Amino acid sequence: MSEEEKPDTGEEKPISMLPGEKVVELLIPLEDYLTAGVHIGTHICTKFMEPFVYRVRSDGLYILDARKIDERVRVAAKFLARYEPSKIAVVSVRQYGFRPVTKMCEYVGCKPFTGRFIPGTFTNPSLAWYFEPDVVVVTDPRADAQAIKEAAEVGVPVVAFADTDNKTEFVDLVIPGNNKGRKSLALLYWLLTRQILRERGVIPPNGDLPEKPADFETKL
Amino acid sequence: MASKYMLSTLNISISEAATPPICSSCHRLMEPGEHGVEFLCPNCGKAVIRRCKRCRQLGVPYVCPNCGFRGP
Ligand SMILES: [Zn+2]
Ligand SMILES: [Zn+2]
Repeated sequence: MSEEEKPDTGEEKPISMLPGEKVVELLIPLEDYLTAGVHIGTHICTKFMEPFVYRVRSDGLYILDARKIDERVRVAAKFLARYEPSKIAVVSVRQYGFRPVTKMCEYVGCKPFTGRFIPGTFTNPSLAWYFEPDVVVVTDPRADAQAIKEAAEVGVPVVAFADTDNKTEFVDLVIPGNNKGRKSLALLYWLLTRQILRERGVIPPNGDLPEKPADFETKL
Repeated sequence: MASKYMLSTLNISISEAATPPICSSCHRLMEPGEHGVEFLCPNCGKAVIRRCKRCRQLGVPYVCPNCGFRGP
């Protein structure tokens, strides 16, 4: 098993409950989140990400709260559904984000930026590939730092998937999650895509995508 | 569908244009061209959230006056 897939051997369910609550309604079964390792953080936690942590494992690994991941996917979908799709830029310098980002953009109609982010893309109108986004989604605030910097410069909001080791400077909406694992990124983008289409009424409120999260995975 | 949302976004930004841009987190007046940001509350889409450059950089929380959503 690769480092990216980071198994969680803890038996306790990483989900916070409200007082008196017995069941938490999630977008997908908790088991599906856990299998993809979406809740597995890193051995570091920044002050930015502390609010999203469920617990620290005895070996020092930070575990994210599945409830908060789920909540933020819903909020981000509502937020993004209010924008003109063609003005949403979705960025991933990280290779495991390539296919998830491309897939989301196919379904949602947004603009993918995968691979090296060429400086000036959002700020220099004289470039042939210049793009003027209304909102920017990034896969990893560290890897996608250039895109965030340029979004900040032109004053557009930034939505970011962020792991426990991320600093979320200039991020306006955090979606906590493991942004290093191949399966985790596929599931996070699949969920966000489905939820945006639900919000827009393209599919019914409990409708599904024709493809599975595995179809969003970057092939090895 | 999407057009309804865009129209309401437009209406709010026009009606809010007359009010001075105050950062939702630190309540300071935002300088023109300081590279702050404004957007409708991610959760309810009803209130305008403004964040100055400094609060954005430091990740200072903002709270929606309408629904209580706490970001970022
Ligand atoms: Zn401020
Ligand atoms: Zn709100």
